[in-house]
Amino acid sequence: MIGILLAKIKIFIRYPLTFLAMVVMSIGFALLIGGGNGNVINVPTYIADEAIHGTVVEDILNDSEAFNFETMSKDEVEDKIANGKAEIGVELYEGDFRVIVGVESPNVGLVKQTVEGAYSKKLQYEQLFAAANATTDSDKEAVKTDLEKAIADPVFSIQANNFRGSDAVIIDNRYHTLFGFTLFFVIYTIAYNVFHILEEKNNGVWDRIILSPARKWEMYVANFMYSFGTGFLQVLIIFLVFRFWVGIEFGGNFGKAILVLIPYVFSIVALSILITGIVKTVQQFNAVIPIIAVSMAMIGGAFWPLEIVSSKLMLVLSKVVPITYGMEVLNGVAIYGYSFSEILYPISILLLMGVVMTGIGIHLMEKRHV
Amino acid sequence: MLELIDLSKKFKQLYAVKNLNMFIEKGEIVGLLGPNGAGKSTAISMLSSLVDPTTGDVRFHNKSILKNPSPIRKIIGMVPQEIALYTDLSAEENLRFFGRIYRLKGAELKQKIDEILELIGLTDRRKDIVKKFSGGMKRRLNIGVALLHNPELIIMDEPTVGIDPQSRNYILETVKRLNEEKQMTVIYTSHYMEEVEFLCDRIYIMDQGNLIASGTKDEIKRILSAEKTIVIKADRLNDIFIESLRQDPTISSVTVEEKKVTIIVPKEINIFPAVLKLAEEAKLELNSVDIKTPTLEDVFLHLTGRALRD
Ligand SMILES: Nc1ncnc2c1ncn2[C@@H]1O[C@H](COP(=O)(O)OP(=O)(O)OP(=O)(O)O)[C@@H](O)[C@H]1O
Ligand SMILES: [Mg+2]
Repeated sequence: MIGILLAKIKIFIRYPLTFLAMVVMSIGFALLIGGGNGNVINVPTYIADEAIHGTVVEDILNDSEAFNFETMSKDEVEDKIANGKAEIGVELYEGDFRVIVGVESPNVGLVKQTVEGAYSKKLQYEQLFAAANATTDSDKEAVKTDLEKAIADPVFSIQANNFRGSDAVIIDNRYHTLFGFTLFFVIYTIAYNVFHILEEKNNGVWDRIILSPARKWEMYVANFMYSFGTGFLQVLIIFLVFRFWVGIEFGGNFGKAILVLIPYVFSIVALSILITGIVKTVQQFNAVIPIIAVSMAMIGGAFWPLEIVSSKLMLVLSKVVPITYGMEVLNGVAIYGYSFSEILYPISILLLMGVVMTGIGIHLMEKRHV
Repeated sequence: MLELIDLSKKFKQLYAVKNLNMFIEKGEIVGLLGPNGAGKSTAISMLSSLVDPTTGDVRFHNKSILKNPSPIRKIIGMVPQEIALYTDLSAEENLRFFGRIYRLKGAELKQKIDEILELIGLTDRRKDIVKKFSGGMKRRLNIGVALLHNPELIIMDEPTVGIDPQSRNYILETVKRLNEEKQMTVIYTSHYMEEVEFLCDRIYIMDQGNLIASGTKDEIKRILSAEKTIVIKADRLNDIFIESLRQDPTISSVTVEEKKVTIIVPKEINIFPAVLKLAEEAKLELNSVDIKTPTLEDVFLHLTGRALRD
């Protein structure tokens, strides 16, 4: 089995072009379509009270990944809203804020929630400062540092994320396109690698191996491992490029985002085995793969967020497509900051799909050969 | 050594092989001859335990291989009809890969690889990627890989299709040498009569799943002893002539090729005057009329009314 795997790796290293093309395409599309700041929603912001400066409110708003709170004069804010250049604006007072709504959209609620969260945090801090008797700035800073330490290293867990409201949805285009294209293009890499099984069966390599002391399951396992490995390598490279070259933070959960790719890649290997078990010829396979990859990406929300899909049928279909769950776990980890236990459901579905499809696929392949 | 008993394989409605009976003794070269779709590949897949028969049995040293295929698998060297190699790897890497699959290691493996490269004449191309090989070189390597573990029985499924005459001769000579020097038993399938005539001691002829003849070369040719084959050549063959040949009750088979008609008639009949007369009536100018010594091709023609390769 190791021998089979090594032979495949040798071939992979000798002919890396298709693989590299897929990596470059994923990165290219994600950059091109999700690129720039234009996709972060601009929220014109008027600071009515200078006292806001230097408070936690300003920090939180500046840190928002979904919205760009751009400070300007009151007139400018009203102008932008009136001219339809922005959907919403905010005015910040010392202890209160006002949201100016130009167009009703889900974003209004989210902006409100974000700003509200910032103010409640501010209030919380002020009460803490009062309790700790911190009057000077340096005292306050010290309390704040202590507090942050305590939050980062909780003795008991604090629900610190404002975005967690049950129907709150964040659509961050940068993440969305990155995840979408990564999950989409890796289907090709995996599928074509799995497909080698069919070629090897047709040209007699499998017959040779079946007659040899090596066992058939070793062929399956080696092929599975190889396809999984190349698929995972591809998504890993893409994420690394975006993390360290483009500078995307993955919500501070980079390691987790990598880990949750494992069940997705697994399910796609399984799907490819299933397809390989069904198709009969190379031509059929070449015709079917793009159709399946593209339609899955559309149904599963890789190209556009499922949140904007209203067709009931599409939403039902999305439940059987691995990409849906792949997007769900990635968004969950990187944008919503979910813990593993909170994304256990989509992860389990991916693993279950993987096991079932591998089983059926191998069964079909075995049946056809005899 | 090996016996096929009433072996059949059915794919949906189609019998790829029907009631096939065969035997192979140690040290023989047995030919399995038949046109496309005759069922040759299916037959050898069954006898090598790769495909389960629908009905019938395969016995190796008198024990069925259906329940326990490992004894036969141990002695088989299989040369599949397709190029069953990793074409992205070099000749040597392929041999090493399949050698390892057969649990060969270290010096033993190395020596075996050298020996086989020598045998198939690819020593100086050992480092080259198989994809860049000519058809003949690929075929030779396809055979070489099957010899790594010193098989007692080597099964070759059309090992010479689509290659140049030199490579073809090289392969035929190699097979003969393996049989003579190493006493390897060989099952050789082909749709080339000449190859089978050159190599094989005994021959089985299949067509459309059925065994239509079997025996030694001479036995098979004797099928034709009651008949003779006559080849008529003419530059401008016409339909009237061919039609009248077909109408003639003494002629049992008429096969038309470009500028050539082959007919089969009973031995005792002198057909020359009749042919000349028909040609005259059809206003046809003949180039030659010859009696041919029968070949396996003629046997096939006789048995099926079709040429082997059409
Ligand atoms: N797996 C299969 N499923 C369905 N039909 C098959 C299968 N394998 C072979 N057949 C059919 O069985 C018949 C015999 O095929 P087989 O490959 O044994 O012929 P062959 O003598 O080897 O021909 P060739 O000279 O073209 O290799 C053909 O009609 C073929 O279409
Ligand atoms: Mg065949």
